[in-house]
Amino acid sequence: MGVGTVAAGVAKAKADVILVSGYDGGTGASPRSSIQHAGAPWELGLAETNQTLLLNDLRSRVILETDGQLKTGRDVVIACLLGAEEFGFATAPLITLGCLMMRVCHKNTCPVGIATQDPRLREKFAGGADAVVNFMNFVAEEIRETMAKLGFRTINEMVGRVDKLELRKAINHWKAKGLDYSAILHRPDVGPEVGTYCQMKQDHLLDRSLDNREILKRAMPAIENGQAVNIDLPVINTDRVVGTITGAEISRKHGPNGLPEDTVKINLAGSAGQSLGAFCPKGMTFTVTGDTNDYLGKGLSGGKIIVRPPEDSPFVAHENVIAGNVCFYGATAGQAFVSGVVGERFCVRNSGVHAVVEGLGDHGCEYMTGGLVLCLGKTGRNFGAGMSGGVAYIYDEEGDFVSTKLNTEMVKTYPLVECDDHEIDLIKSLITRHVEYTDSPRGIDLLNDWSSAAEKFVKIMPEDYERVLFALKKAEERGLEGDDAIQAAFEENVAAGH
Amino acid sequence: MGKPTGFLEHERQSIPDRSPLERIKDWKEIHEPFDEDKVRQQGSRCMDCGTPYCHTGMTLANMASGCPINNLIPEWNDLVYKGKWRDALARLHKTNNFPEFTGRVCPAPCEGSCVLGVIEPPVTIKSIECSIIDKGFAEGWVTPQPPARRSGKKIAVVGSGPAGMATADQLNKAGHLVTVYERADRIGGLLLYGIPNMKLEKEIVQRRVDLMAAEGIKFVVSTEIGKDLPAKSLLEDFDSVVLCCGATKPRDLPIEGRELKGVHYAMEFLTINTQGLLELKDVTAFETAANSKDVVVIGGGDTGTDCVGTSVRHGCKSITQLEIMPRPPEERADDNPWPEWPKVYKMDYGQEEAKEVFGEDPRNYLTMTKKFSGDDQGNLKGVIICDIEWKMEDGRYSPVEVQGSEREIPAQAAFLAMGFLGPEDTIAEELGLARDSRSNVQADYGRFSTNIEGVFAAGDMRRGQSLVVWAINEGRAAARECDRYLMGETSLP
Repeated sequence: MGVGTVAAGVAKAKADVILVSGYDGGTGASPRSSIQHAGAPWELGLAETNQTLLLNDLRSRVILETDGQLKTGRDVVIACLLGAEEFGFATAPLITLGCLMMRVCHKNTCPVGIATQDPRLREKFAGGADAVVNFMNFVAEEIRETMAKLGFRTINEMVGRVDKLELRKAINHWKAKGLDYSAILHRPDVGPEVGTYCQMKQDHLLDRSLDNREILKRAMPAIENGQAVNIDLPVINTDRVVGTITGAEISRKHGPNGLPEDTVKINLAGSAGQSLGAFCPKGMTFTVTGDTNDYLGKGLSGGKIIVRPPEDSPFVAHENVIAGNVCFYGATAGQAFVSGVVGERFCVRNSGVHAVVEGLGDHGCEYMTGGLVLCLGKTGRNFGAGMSGGVAYIYDEEGDFVSTKLNTEMVKTYPLVECDDHEIDLIKSLITRHVEYTDSPRGIDLLNDWSSAAEKFVKIMPEDYERVLFALKKAEERGLEGDDAIQAAFEENVAAGH
Repeated sequence: MGKPTGFLEHERQSIPDRSPLERIKDWKEIHEPFDEDKVRQQGSRCMDCGTPYCHTGMTLANMASGCPINNLIPEWNDLVYKGKWRDALARLHKTNNFPEFTGRVCPAPCEGSCVLGVIEPPVTIKSIECSIIDKGFAEGWVTPQPPARRSGKKIAVVGSGPAGMATADQLNKAGHLVTVYERADRIGGLLLYGIPNMKLEKEIVQRRVDLMAAEGIKFVVSTEIGKDLPAKSLLEDFDSVVLCCGATKPRDLPIEGRELKGVHYAMEFLTINTQGLLELKDVTAFETAANSKDVVVIGGGDTGTDCVGTSVRHGCKSITQLEIMPRPPEERADDNPWPEWPKVYKMDYGQEEAKEVFGEDPRNYLTMTKKFSGDDQGNLKGVIICDIEWKMEDGRYSPVEVQGSEREIPAQAAFLAMGFLGPEDTIAEELGLARDSRSNVQADYGRFSTNIEGVFAAGDMRRGQSLVVWAINEGRAAARECDRYLMGETSLP
């Protein structure tokens, strides 16, 4: 399967925990090329992973975790003997809480009040933490009993002791005839110097990060006293997660609201490494002149990120990639202005960022639940798949976006020009700001010929989201506010059978 | 199912009963006709559960949980909700030969295990079932379906209760020539004479019998195997014999005064009553059994309830029902969780009627009968009872009399409804059938073959007294095994 190779790689790349997740996960959304290999038993992946880590003397620096239908102490012991030291449970504790496996988690009708937002049903929830504690106590007790039988005092002693596993002799089904378990039950011959369970912490070399070398100390006046700072630095692609440590300090000191906009300005020149600006709060502004790698602005929480080519760049910005894949994944708030094309899965699971780009790859805005995406150029295929919230505007120069690129399962489209003036002005002002920040030639062109450019913008709106927004507006007109208005809108939709 | 939010929008509403004071004036069924739209609405309450316990038919804590014949309940609930009645009927008949019986008399273990019951009153499965088949008959959708081919095999089914009828129906569908023997004058067994008319109208039983006759089943009445016809002759004349003779031996109460005039087994009383109704079509002529009498019913089960309802219709002077167990709780006890059969206090039709007429629930819990007292002519005049407590003795609970609680209640009629012990001995002895420790005919569940080759046993005769659905379950399964025995393979479910 190759999972051992992957594990060795991530262990070298300083992973703290490696999770081998077996059985049901990943079976639905896998690409066609790997779906035949998804949903395999954790026993296979775990054995291979543990053996590979041992052979490369990497086992002692990572925690190996496994999950996938673990339900009993016996399951845990077997997982441990095959090499795991941490164990994930989900289904079984859920059952102890009262889950009846109705498989209606997506319908908001969970009758026992677990997977529902409906207050009438949430009232029916009869479970409690004690039941989970009780269940876990039983699991632990069963583990303890088995350990006593096997002669182990601690989990650490037991990790990877496949020699304690025996094949059931009673299996004489004809299908079992050709099966050879020796690879699973193999224990690599390594010396006593090789640790067989997690014994040391990974050195993440954080002291070498750009934040710890430069940014954090230069941002101190801002963090301590709210004083605006301007930090100019070169950047190279080994500088990963630039700004995140500084952002964490801002959040620690100032809470979720961060600092006033543009308090900490970080101006970078060069090619930034992965995850620039990840999770950064309000008050931080990154301006990258050059390009950025994957995961730009992942989980962005209020910060502002500007990426633009150098002034002397010979490329046509809206035809060339400037940032990698999966930018602004899971972002919750903030702004982004990217003068160029970004990779695949742009703004997947975005719930609040307002982003302007000049082109994007496949699966844009997938599973987006909020925020705004304005794309001034071409997109890849499958745009808006599973998009349940937020709004997107695409400059559809060739007029083929809806017919060839958009996934229409959950969204509706409108020509921008049919929207109200307020909305058209909003798009125009966003382009204006994009030009201010990036000098985008594409933006300038569009503004120069705005009346005909506006004709080519398509608005993408999730159907359910639109209906809820409408209900919310009605509730607010009735004088309801805040959560009350949201609840009223929600109930109106439930009553209508949505 | 079709409507995920149905259970949030509609409350449980069974087909309503006629008012007690109204319905005790006649012997017609206690239910009102069903309202199609309301039943459809009730069908929408079904939740399309991931694990629909309603059709599992498990045994939990010695009680049925879910439908013993595995009715495809979520499917026909949905079809009814969508108004596809004819499809629902086909789906219902797939597993149930006689939904018009179970829809009326089944205690509905399906509803006890309905997942909706975890949070609110369960889906009205029984009412929906009954509505589907009633509509089917009303629309003329239920017509004789004789088998296309005959196998040439001949099978005798002894007993025409629900097990015998189900066996006969299935074997006939498989193309065998079936003859059903019944010792009573009419077909139906307990369905006919055991269950009173207000619970299951006898025309409904006859309607199904007529249908089966039209499909080619031969019914022979007033012929008791072992008396009128030797059981051995069946072995000679038929390729196989399926015994479905029921567990008709009633539990007696051998106490002082048992021989007094006026002390009867419940089944005698109910049988005479229904016979009278069928023969005379007139209630006045046979209502002397309980008319103007103080009636005591001993036993708190369904048969006891039927005695209460029947006595009330006879115009009894008073009615008392004695139950040795304590009054069940209003809601499930902690040791009786869903999806077990809910052991909770219920007001059945007979008690409801007695309460309307006499002002109170006729049931007395934790009481034991000590003796019957009589007058000089040997007529019953009273029942001496006492209160009891259940005490643990030698590792089991036994009833212990509460000192000073003995008292006499007036009674000119007493009916013993304390259950049944097992099958009668006639056929078993003649054929030399092996019996189990409870005197039932020995045949493994799933195989149903007795110790005599080609002879099968099913229903109460094999499992002891039980529900109509279990009888249908066993009848169907025994038919399958009989078919396999005769043909070497079977396609019966």
